[in-house]
Amino acid sequence: METTSSNIQTTFHSIGSSTDWIVMVVYFIVIMLFGSYFGRYNRSTKDFFFGGRRFAWWLIAFSIVATGVGSHSFVKYSAKGFEYGFSSTMTYINDWFFIPLFLFGWLPIIVYTKIRSIPEYFEKRFSPSARFLATVLLLLYMIGYIGIGFLTLGKAVIPMLPENFMLLGMHFDITLMGAIIVIAIITGIYITFGGQTAVIFTDLLQGFVLLFAGFLLFFLGISYLGGFETFWNLLPTTWKLPLADFSKPPDFNFVGIFWQDGVAGSVGFLFMNMGLIMRFMATKSVDEGRKAATFNILFMLPLSAVVVGNAGWIGKALSVSNPELVPPTTSPDQIFVVVANIVAIPGVFGFIMAALTAALMSTVDTLINATAAIYINDIYRPVEKYFRKGKEEKKTRKKDKRELAAARWASVAITILGVVSVLAFKSFPTVYEAHGYFHSTLTPPLVIAIFLGIFWKKFTPSAVIATFVGGVALMILGLHDANLITPFAHGIEMNHDHPYSYIRAFYNLFVCGAVAVIVTYSTSIQHTIVSKIRSKSNHKQINYALIALAVVLFTFVVFNIGTFGLQFIGILIMISAVAIVTTYTVKYDAVAQTEGLTVWSLDRAKEIFKGSKVNDEEGELIKIKWKMKEGDDDIANFSKNDMVRMKANVGDLVYLCDARKIFGGLKSVHTVYGEPHDEDGIVMLNNEHLLNGVFVDGKVLTAEKEM
Amino acid sequence: MPEISHTWLPLLYLYGVGGIFFLIGMIIIRKSKAIDLKKKRHRYWYRVLIFGYFYFVAFHIIFTLVALYW
Repeated sequence: METTSSNIQTTFHSIGSSTDWIVMVVYFIVIMLFGSYFGRYNRSTKDFFFGGRRFAWWLIAFSIVATGVGSHSFVKYSAKGFEYGFSSTMTYINDWFFIPLFLFGWLPIIVYTKIRSIPEYFEKRFSPSARFLATVLLLLYMIGYIGIGFLTLGKAVIPMLPENFMLLGMHFDITLMGAIIVIAIITGIYITFGGQTAVIFTDLLQGFVLLFAGFLLFFLGISYLGGFETFWNLLPTTWKLPLADFSKPPDFNFVGIFWQDGVAGSVGFLFMNMGLIMRFMATKSVDEGRKAATFNILFMLPLSAVVVGNAGWIGKALSVSNPELVPPTTSPDQIFVVVANIVAIPGVFGFIMAALTAALMSTVDTLINATAAIYINDIYRPVEKYFRKGKEEKKTRKKDKRELAAARWASVAITILGVVSVLAFKSFPTVYEAHGYFHSTLTPPLVIAIFLGIFWKKFTPSAVIATFVGGVALMILGLHDANLITPFAHGIEMNHDHPYSYIRAFYNLFVCGAVAVIVTYSTSIQHTIVSKIRSKSNHKQINYALIALAVVLFTFVVFNIGTFGLQFIGILIMISAVAIVTTYTVKYDAVAQTEGLTVWSLDRAKEIFKGSKVNDEEGELIKIKWKMKEGDDDIANFSKNDMVRMKANVGDLVYLCDARKIFGGLKSVHTVYGEPHDEDGIVMLNNEHLLNGVFVDGKVLTAEKEM
Repeated sequence: MPEISHTWLPLLYLYGVGGIFFLIGMIIIRKSKAIDLKKKRHRYWYRVLIFGYFYFVAFHIIFTLVALYW
């Protein structure tokens, strides 16, 4: 134990015994073998990234626990639990406000439009240039998120490691970055060979382990203190309140965290976290995705809040009852490890630490997998198509194999970039503040663009691009001069080292939203100006000049050149230039490019998904045996009577699944009803169905009409 | 007794401002017919959505009272 005078925090090293390390190594080997086993279910990039849209809601709901708990980690919530008490839970219990729009807006849209990434939605809804800008912003968001994950992992293991060690007679210091690099290598190996199915199943196992380990620690901590009543009475009243003080202190206040986490964070997590979205897309249907999301938010998140924060609460009680054992000055980011080591015996401590680090790895794995999906879909394929001069390559096994290899290499590159991004967050006093600042700064432009894109038919390509460029410029202006945020601060005091880490989100959302709305409502003015430009003989040169002007003005803002007033006027001119250039350049059909792509035309989205009129009649779910047929067409043949029971017609979509519920849809396939036969209780399937569904000879299937 | 800025004000703000977002969401999905109350399944989901809002309101009220008076 040492006390660093610079920040008056007590830090720990070499916590734990050799038994704990053995338990941790064994745990990691088991998890990696478990994940690798499910890697064999990847037959294509679709399986690698999306798990083949086949799983039951409960499997996805539990697999999300590890992702949610990992990302909102043990380390950061225990830290805030130690500093401020039960209000550390508030970010887990503020996600319901946007659920109606997610369950009945975004989720059906992403499933029915068959988009494989968020930027792809921007191309369909707006333009390729909107897709490009969305890709840039989303990659920054995802890589930053991976960096936060690595930083947390590093901070979790550092207290367990010695300050230095000797190898081959040489002396090595153990640094935070060194630990992170080693962790990144282990994480990269696992994700590179696993894929989404592996991540889902590993997370499923870890979801259970995490809940168990978290509650075990709480139980052990309460017992160590002498019972719940002692624990309760040791805590001051303010520590027991479920929400933080409205506007103080600057490093943990309710209103800032509401806008940063409850608004920007919730929308960001539900609508633009590709890792989470890919989980919902892996469910067998939209309704199953809704069940998974609802169960997770109503029940799993409140439980997770206790799981991740309780070490901090126990730590606080220990610091009151025995300040020599847990000094009140203990580094908040180390409190989880310190408390776990005190209350758990050797071996159990190793198990808890293994659960913690494995959970964090799950989060990072999910994010790496999702970022690789964005790379393949939004960079690799468009670039490849460009070099083929727009000609689509036929979908072959060879092409898919090449893309799968590219996805694996992308996972390695993204892991490295994630490690590098840790450098941007290292200076924050706690992981919590680093994450809050990150969310406040990177999510607002995408949050506004996705939100208005889905729910506002009038939202135009010029408005979305102006939001990405002009909104970001106004956000950068807020970074240069934090006084701009003061009117939005709700009385929060400015911390000059990290000004307005949380409430910055409110300002950023406001400026992005304002740009989006003003540019949308000025569409007719833009068209008038563009008509005038087009009537000139040098209209192309005028367009290039406007692009150059926008680039120069954006550069001035990025490098803080000129006074605040000049920069502000420059941004307004830049937004106008961007809007006019986009209106001039982009061919936008307001009817075709909103059909099926906004919440106002979901029925049309379903029709596009199916390829014909939707059959919404509710039929029976039936049990059925399969027989093999020749051919490779994607059609399954049922008997006439079975089709009547399912209220299905030829051409409708059907979901076939191994009837054993324990598999949660792992052995299943989506296909189309073909012409019926006369043998009741039998479905005719071809070899491709059997390979994709991994069906076992003699085992009964369930069949369910989708639409 | 802690100040109101630490007890009821955050709760009112959370479910007031958050409630506005929630209400806007409910209005949009109903007006757009994304949720169609003629369908039995959608009626079920509509009830779940409303239940969820009050479930969390109740959650925070109960825990605030427990912290203050237990």
